[in-house]
Amino acid sequence: MTMLLTMKDIYKSFGPVRVLEDVRFDLRPSEVHILAGENGAGKSTLMKILGGVYPDYSGTIELGQKPVRFKSVQDSAGGGISIIYQELSLVGSLSVYENIFLGRERHRFSWIERTGMKNEARRLLAELGLCMDVETAVEDLPIGQQQMVEIAKALSYQAHVIVMDEPTSALTEPEVKKLFEIIARLKQKGCGIVYISHKMEEIYQIADRITVLRDGRYIGTETAENLPADKLIHWMVGRQLNQQFPRHQSRLGDVRLDVSNLTVAGEAGNPIPLVDGVSLHVRAGEIVGLAGLQGSGNSQLLHGLFGTFGKRVSGSLKIDGRPVPITHPAGSIQRGLALLTNDRKSTGLVLGRDIVENASLACLPKFSPAGWLRPKAEKRAVSQTLQQLRLKAESLSQPVESLSGGNQQKVVLAKWIQTDPRVLLLDEPTRGVDVGAKQEIYELMNQWTQAGIAIILITSEMPELLAMSDRILVMHRGHITAEFESGQATQETILSAALGETTKGMRNTWRTN
Amino acid sequence: MKNGMILLIAVCLGLILFGGGCGKTESPEGEPGGRTIGMSQCNLGEPWRVQMNADVRRAAEAHPNLRVIFKDAQNDTLKQQAQMEEFISAGVDLIIISPKEAAPLTPVVAQAYAKGIPVLVLDRRVLGDQYTCFIGADNKKIGKAAGQWIVDTLGGQGKVVELKGLMTSTPGQDRHTGFREGIEGSDLEIIFEADMKWLEPNARKEMESALARFPQIDLVYAHNDPGAHGAYLAAKAAGREQDILFVGIDGLPQEGQAYVSQGVLAASFEYPTGGKEAIETALKILAGQPVEKEITLTSRVFTQDTIDQGGQRLTE
Amino acid sequence: MADKLTQKNRMPEWITSPTSRALAALIVVFVLGLLFHAEGAFYKWGTHRDMLRAVSVYGILACGMTLVIITAGIDLSVGSVLALTAVLFALTTIHWQWPFWLAILFCLAVGGVCGGFSGYLIGRFRIQPFIATLAMMVFARGVAKWVSGGQKISTAVQQPDGTYQYVSVPDIFTLINAKIFGGNLTVVTVILLACILISWILLTRLRQGRYMLAIGGNEQAAVLSGVPVNPIKILAYGMAGLFSAVAGICQASQELQGDPEAGVAYELSAIAMVVIGGTSLQGGRGSLWLTLIGILTIGYLEKILSINAVGEDKRLMLTGVIIIAAVLLQKNK
Repeated sequence: MTMLLTMKDIYKSFGPVRVLEDVRFDLRPSEVHILAGENGAGKSTLMKILGGVYPDYSGTIELGQKPVRFKSVQDSAGGGISIIYQELSLVGSLSVYENIFLGRERHRFSWIERTGMKNEARRLLAELGLCMDVETAVEDLPIGQQQMVEIAKALSYQAHVIVMDEPTSALTEPEVKKLFEIIARLKQKGCGIVYISHKMEEIYQIADRITVLRDGRYIGTETAENLPADKLIHWMVGRQLNQQFPRHQSRLGDVRLDVSNLTVAGEAGNPIPLVDGVSLHVRAGEIVGLAGLQGSGNSQLLHGLFGTFGKRVSGSLKIDGRPVPITHPAGSIQRGLALLTNDRKSTGLVLGRDIVENASLACLPKFSPAGWLRPKAEKRAVSQTLQQLRLKAESLSQPVESLSGGNQQKVVLAKWIQTDPRVLLLDEPTRGVDVGAKQEIYELMNQWTQAGIAIILITSEMPELLAMSDRILVMHRGHITAEFESGQATQETILSAALGETTKGMRNTWRTN
Repeated sequence: MKNGMILLIAVCLGLILFGGGCGKTESPEGEPGGRTIGMSQCNLGEPWRVQMNADVRRAAEAHPNLRVIFKDAQNDTLKQQAQMEEFISAGVDLIIISPKEAAPLTPVVAQAYAKGIPVLVLDRRVLGDQYTCFIGADNKKIGKAAGQWIVDTLGGQGKVVELKGLMTSTPGQDRHTGFREGIEGSDLEIIFEADMKWLEPNARKEMESALARFPQIDLVYAHNDPGAHGAYLAAKAAGREQDILFVGIDGLPQEGQAYVSQGVLAASFEYPTGGKEAIETALKILAGQPVEKEITLTSRVFTQDTIDQGGQRLTE
Repeated sequence: MADKLTQKNRMPEWITSPTSRALAALIVVFVLGLLFHAEGAFYKWGTHRDMLRAVSVYGILACGMTLVIITAGIDLSVGSVLALTAVLFALTTIHWQWPFWLAILFCLAVGGVCGGFSGYLIGRFRIQPFIATLAMMVFARGVAKWVSGGQKISTAVQQPDGTYQYVSVPDIFTLINAKIFGGNLTVVTVILLACILISWILLTRLRQGRYMLAIGGNEQAAVLSGVPVNPIKILAYGMAGLFSAVAGICQASQELQGDPEAGVAYELSAIAMVVIGGTSLQGGRGSLWLTLIGILTIGYLEKILSINAVGEDKRLMLTGVIIIAAVLLQKNK
């Protein structure tokens, strides 16, 4: 069988630093080829070479049998290669069809042919089994549908090779399902798909073959059947990880966080509340998982508790038995709450500032008595915390935007741990984080609960939720629809509760106090 | 509720400012037999034009049956057109306009003139002859007079710095060419010239540069008094103000005249506002007396010797 | 991979650092001065002293502008607030004969309140900085004209009968307009250096400065980290207003009068100085040293054009070219 794509002997350096060394990769028609490796292994660099972003490399790329050399992104797209990056490259204010044809608008005598483009956009979307209004502005679509638009755009280029870089990191479970259906359709059409992901169960759901890179080197290629998970992880990290989810349940203390009847009103003019009269409690040392699909209000619940919405929130909150008001984030931090948001780049980090400044931002008064900064004390405390979190960085004065995802997340975690929180609200703590760092974050969660911190955990990775939570609450449309003790829940029961089905045998969580 | 509060405060503030701003000039209908004059000033951003309005007001105050409505067009031609139209529809007895630009304001002036409202055009011209009377001074003549005065004062030779106003504006060009005509044939040497855009801080900067370059400067001719004053301050900071004479133009009481009497400027050439003459002419027109179509104002020069006598009239 | 990318760039760090990029522009301009020295005028210290004097008022505005730009904002009102405080300073010292310290405090308070109010509107009501300070720019100019009656407030004091009486120049004017260190530096330049120092301390040594950087870098993350965003914005704009008042006092002292038309378009010069230094208009990055370099770059450029008596037309064209060249130098290659 002829290969769609062959990359051989690829070398690439940035200055004196060699980031790819003798890497090879190939792709057959109608296959999903997983490109695996920890963050920093060289996956994205390899794909950027393929995409024409880095034209100065050495090695050969063959498309079909024909050697090619892409000098620009346009070159690569012209060769039938389409890359869907983690950060979607859509223009939010433009409509679906305008995005699909962006830069290649069809026109006649320089008049744009709207109807033609709309029809073509509808056809492409229908090919993906999608039905959406092509005139909606892309920013009004959920992130999952935006991704579909990106894929439709790739199809409109007649791409044979479609690269997806962590496409599911922002998607909900049904959206992921939809995506996989689309991938299946693309396979049928003869497209080859390069798929980059950190999620194990996802990999084994769709993989035909798997190639692993580590530290810029080629480790190996295997079919999915011949590369079981433990071996894959071994290839990726170069060491055996004995346990994927090492939750050590700690001794539970008194109720740390007690929320009753919390309601977060909808955006201005929207009568439907985001969170509707939710009550829950978390004990010291307990991890409560908060499951729910996108739009269920689980993220908004954490933000509501934390004071992000200010006065839009009603309900009462007790920490360690004492009632506290919900005011604003600054007040919540003082009262011992900490919120790790689900999007570190837009709401967690000040990307242009350095590690120290980011890690100390939430507890700066501690390092600045009477307003004067004490840089030495600050640096000492931060480096101590970061050592515990095993942060890998050149120096503490390097901007956080230059760190890998996992290390960035550690900086955010360090920021919150420095505030000595009593309750940690973790929204997707392992999103976009490589396997090794994930392990470390799980380990940290264990340590923190042992120290008596109460944790609420939101994660879209089911195995992680099931393994790490001592108790799981499921939300649907602003309500809690189910509660499971550790070990009782399965992916199926959680999903059905998240979809709003109330099954018999589930404990009602409405408490009466 | 919060928005309501803000709105309320804004409305109150607006009323205070608006009421305070307009109440002074636009009093209710004058007594019977009184005459109303509309005065449209192209902008009140320059002291000279503020002075023009003040001169008009002062001259009008002497005649109790005369009422003047002042309007400021804030350097906006369209606004000035609208103001003229307001005067026409209000049926004022006479209009004084100091136009911002000639061409765009010509039709509206002609319109008033055709309706039988006398129009006095002050300082800047309009096109054609559809107006009653133009009153203005001649920058070129003033510049020439300044040049001749400088030649006389320096004895026909010396090193001179010229600090020009905006060279894209007519007054700047006229004060420049007039000056050059005035010094023609003498041995004066213009060693340094720069645009200071009528602004004192700029004049000071440019003069600092001139001082750094030239060990000998005999006189600074600036196109306006603030420019001359800025040059003086630069020279003073360099300790050289005693060796240099400073000459400016405009001769406003609080600027040029003040500088001359304080010994800062050797001379300031008046650029008359024509405010007083405008009211005098207006009274003549309202009384039905004939007036000339064009009145060129004579300028005065203020020097240390003549400042106490109110300056000396320039002769042709 | 991303961290490896930035670890060792092609060039050594000292060449690519923002400071050296900014310095490069300054050096280019300086070399121009050495070449076009106008019969040796550029080699005299007096020329450099005069340049520093002329650029001081703009530089003082640029200090406040740096703080505001670092919070990802902009302040268009600095020129108008300068005019307002210049008028008030002349009015209080010349006409009302207040003691100088009271006049200074009063002007600083007015400037601080003007700026702080802009900051309040921007923080509390989420009005875009451009709009809020544009409104303040117009408003403060109006107040300046109203207070002064449209005339310059000078030592020529109009009497009720319309004649003028000439009073002497207040001592504080003379003091601020003086030279020190054996005539080698002007007082306004010392004031500029003090303003740079104060803003530098605020930005790098105080918690509030760190918060400004964080707000400019990512306002949402700052809010969620408990940063008191609104007070910090009020502080940043308030400082810009305060420095405008300092500049207004210096301007009035140098002109020996309060001109309600002073400072027109000064905000653009101040922004240009900040940007030429390399502080990003997107906020979150920048320093006072960069601004100082920007101040010197513009100052030298103007001085060199002035001593060579370059015509206005060519000056404007050259200034435009140099601004673009300096900003291109800041760009990553």
